[in-house]
Amino acid sequence: MAKVLMKGNEAIAEAAVRAGCRFFAGYPITPQNEIPEYLSWRLPEVGGTFVQGESEVASVNMVYGAAASGCRAMTSSSGPGISLKAEGISYLAGTQLPAVICNISRGGPGLGSIQPAQQDYLQATKALGHGGFKLMVFTPATLQEAVDITYKAWDYAERDRNPVMILMDGCLGSIMEQVELPEMKEPDRTHTDKWSLNRPADSTRGDRVLTPYFPEALLELQNTSRARMYERWAKNDVQVEEFMLDDAEYVVVAYGIASRSAKEAILNLRKEGYKLGMIRPITVNPFPKASFEKLDYSRVKGIIDIELAIPAQMHDDIELQVKGRAPIYEYCRSGGVLFDDDGIYAAVKKICDGGAK
Amino acid sequence: MKRTLVISGSGGQGVMSAGVMIAQTAVDAGNCATYLPEYGPEQRGGSAKCTVVVDENEIISPLASKCDTLIVMNEQAYEKFAKTLRAGGILVANTSRVESEIKKDGITVVEVPADDLAVELGNIKCANIILMGALVGSEAGIISEDAILKSLDKKFASKKKEVLELNHKALQLGIEYGKKAIG
Repeated sequence: MAKVLMKGNEAIAEAAVRAGCRFFAGYPITPQNEIPEYLSWRLPEVGGTFVQGESEVASVNMVYGAAASGCRAMTSSSGPGISLKAEGISYLAGTQLPAVICNISRGGPGLGSIQPAQQDYLQATKALGHGGFKLMVFTPATLQEAVDITYKAWDYAERDRNPVMILMDGCLGSIMEQVELPEMKEPDRTHTDKWSLNRPADSTRGDRVLTPYFPEALLELQNTSRARMYERWAKNDVQVEEFMLDDAEYVVVAYGIASRSAKEAILNLRKEGYKLGMIRPITVNPFPKASFEKLDYSRVKGIIDIELAIPAQMHDDIELQVKGRAPIYEYCRSGGVLFDDDGIYAAVKKICDGGAK
Repeated sequence: MKRTLVISGSGGQGVMSAGVMIAQTAVDAGNCATYLPEYGPEQRGGSAKCTVVVDENEIISPLASKCDTLIVMNEQAYEKFAKTLRAGGILVANTSRVESEIKKDGITVVEVPADDLAVELGNIKCANIILMGALVGSEAGIISEDAILKSLDKKFASKKKEVLELNHKALQLGIEYGKKAIG
């Protein structure tokens, strides 16, 4: 299929439709507005439903209802709106319902700014709501990757009966570049037919969606089985790009838009003889631990964490993997101030030359 | 070869639509392109900027610091972004709204009173098309004349014939300014 020039948010929306998403509820917030705007006309075309809810809380709970019926459902927002959806996301996880939640993130905290940032990493990976649950969190770096991830997101969500998060900065949400869109697919109902409230006509089973208000022993059992699922993710579902690590003396760690500017800097600095490489997490949960274990720390002189977040939020995850075997440097911007290629180039060069802490 | 274009002006001047059109034209001609819009919360009157990167190969980063070609649609845009233009680059300035004396050292300058010309043609809204014409005429190498003409026909296909004709005139006028500037 031919490549088309698309805006990041619209590419995600179209990929969702092609993945079989037939229900979307959301509430406006910049910089993700093109997702609901696009789906408001696109979903009715394919027999789906679009609702602009009266609030973020209402929207996520509509998704909760649609997901319980086995429908591929989605909501999207940006930082402040994701905070409001936190209760609903926790309920989705508690009730073991699949859904896709998209955070096109902006500067924070509070109302923050409408400009791009990566300041929701900790929220996304550690505590998206109360109760200590986790989601698989994907961080695409190109629009093609965003399309491919969105197209597969419900497969993970339904396999696990757990929501999936796509965490993408507002810059990737608003840029345009070429994407190849996948074919329309009919959702595979193998998983959802086993439990959803919308039973197949010939089914003899009863309803198998339980409210998250369980007897204690059952809740403990569920949490234990979820903990095993998180371990399986760590073993089987990590996605990462390992870029030019074979001889790297300095290893950049960056995801999303930060990784693209970093890659440009790495290629330019390599021409000047600097031995640089990059670990680019595509899933930040599960985090690509093995990529850090494989590094030869007798050669690696430093790890460089590059993020649109001050204080750096991925730093702790990196530190847990590096285990003191190399110093960790940072180059970060925040609040909606975007990287530029020269800025990253100069910062990385300074670190390699020993001029930065 | 990677070429970077920045267009800047104020909201409502057609900065973004020009950027999208140039990116789409480049893609239709078989190139890779990225388009990065940057603007504030205002719909009209705020600062508007977009960056278009065009390359035969896949574009790694859309966050270019410097540009090879710069279109400034007002004074603020000139003051803010003139320093991001590389030596040897092309500056297309809407002199109806850029009041400063333009520094010409080491760059090619195309001065186009685009707002005044657009009003004379009949609609101020086509000022951005005049400036795009100047970009093409000055052989900035981002998009060709044939390709932009095709894009123009596609973009205005659903509009009245007069609208398409107006934009054709605007583009041709801009191209003449561009050609004149490079001699």
